[in-house]
Amino acid sequence: MANEKSDLPEATGHRLEELEKGLFTSDLSVNEFLLVKEAGFHPVGFVMGSSIYHIGIQTRKWGQSQELTKLTEAMYNARELAMTRMEEEAAELGADGVVGVRLDVNYYEWGSDAAEFIAVGTAVKAEDGVSRLNALGKPFTSDLSGQDFWTLNQTGYAPQGLVMGTCVYHIAHRGLGATLGSAGKNVELPNFTQALYEARELAMTRMQDEANRLGASGIVGVRLEEKSHQWGSHTIEFLALGTAVDKTGAPLTLTRPTTIISLDN
Amino acid sequence: MSGLTPTNGDFDLPSAMRAALAAYSGGPGSGKGTTSDLSMDEELNLHSIGWEPVEFVSGLSVYSTPPMTWTWGQGEISAASYSHQQAFSTAMARLHREAAAAGAHGVVGVEVERTIHASHTEISLMGTAVRPVGSAPIDAERVFTSDLSARDFTLLMVAGWEPLGLAAGASFVFAPRRSMGAVLSQQTQNVELTNFTEAMYSARETAMERMQSAALAMHGTGVVEVKVFEGPMYFASHAVGFTAWGTVVRLREDEHRRVSPTMVVSVDDDDVLFRAETLG
Repeated sequence: MANEKSDLPEATGHRLEELEKGLFTSDLSVNEFLLVKEAGFHPVGFVMGSSIYHIGIQTRKWGQSQELTKLTEAMYNARELAMTRMEEEAAELGADGVVGVRLDVNYYEWGSDAAEFIAVGTAVKAEDGVSRLNALGKPFTSDLSGQDFWTLNQTGYAPQGLVMGTCVYHIAHRGLGATLGSAGKNVELPNFTQALYEARELAMTRMQDEANRLGASGIVGVRLEEKSHQWGSHTIEFLALGTAVDKTGAPLTLTRPTTIISLDN
Repeated sequence: MSGLTPTNGDFDLPSAMRAALAAYSGGPGSGKGTTSDLSMDEELNLHSIGWEPVEFVSGLSVYSTPPMTWTWGQGEISAASYSHQQAFSTAMARLHREAAAAGAHGVVGVEVERTIHASHTEISLMGTAVRPVGSAPIDAERVFTSDLSARDFTLLMVAGWEPLGLAAGASFVFAPRRSMGAVLSQQTQNVELTNFTEAMYSARETAMERMQSAALAMHGTGVVEVKVFEGPMYFASHAVGFTAWGTVVRLREDEHRRVSPTMVVSVDDDDVLFRAETLG
């Protein structure tokens, strides 16, 4: 499991060594654990990657909608760093993939201009010994839960990678004239609509580009998150996230779902 | 588990329910009434694998942290990590003793309540003590603890695994400082703060590693439902705490038993797709 070029902090070494002795750790619930086993995988360890990143400053024009490329770049870089470190940990454990990946951004009081980007998930290994590495020769990553992972598996598709696209966009303020002109009227605000549209499209396109690079045939479970972080109300990050999937085998027999009336309340 | 197929014949609901009710009224095998915070569903789940609740048990420990522990320094705050570890293991030992005294073999659905103050760490564990129906008491050292719900415990046992205990790890560190020069020169840049990353990384790793060592000491082969908590202390924002705990498990039988799930469509009403609300 020797990994030549790894930029993981030294402290990870010992923890991962222990995991190679046969103990696994995982944040999967019992349900998920059993379903991952059912899908033919065994968890090998809880893996994570983190990066504390200082996000630069970019001036915005009050009345102009535009992408803030420097901020977009920062959000991309920082997430990539965290994801790559998580993948490295998984590769070190000899895993085939990581399921249940969560990406988080933390802010600490002592570093308000910096944010910690974290990626965590459970590394899994195929029990039949056949490698499930993706087109780039890396363990696949996926934000699917254990339940979704099993269901996807039943359809003959396999996750290839967690793909994302991001775009930090500044939406123009409306001039006083425009505000007054539309007061009391039902009108669409085309500049707002257009700005939001464009930002979303950019994020989605970037996500699709990532999926294409993995040779995937589709993306499932796409989520679109819009956050202002700490930039004020007119600067928004659009983040598109999803799991790129590809057909790898014939679909297993999907039985007809049984209808149940749950006794829970 | 709780969704019962109307036509499902192999789950003998009435007899399981009778057994559960008998246990409540001090019927066969219990000697006295039981107390538990289990729901009816969970109670039935337990009985389906031949286990029964015995008593609601708790363990509590308040462990002091020396003064001046949190004043500014560098690296790990070992005194805080130590008192967390002590509080946890003492509370656990008390929980085990109480459970063993009640004649239980394990405690499930353990709720971990924790408060970390500048002067002390308080850990309280509460859960339902359980045992195989009518079995004899065992030593406190052999009692297991798990924060898995009774339902998850049942599932785990059905799949051929068993919980061994709750493993926890904690690590508290001081946030590193940046020189004024560095702050100014990085003001407008996109740059990774590598010393911060390393400090947080190593603290998180230390907490996880302590949890793993505890799991290995219990001869476990895995830890499920690991929960990781992290964040600054409310009384000292320059200190960051990392804690992790989870249930240690081991294969009870020779091999994992497949659970062969069935796909179901729930006809519950909680997915309301469209809801008209008053436009404000």
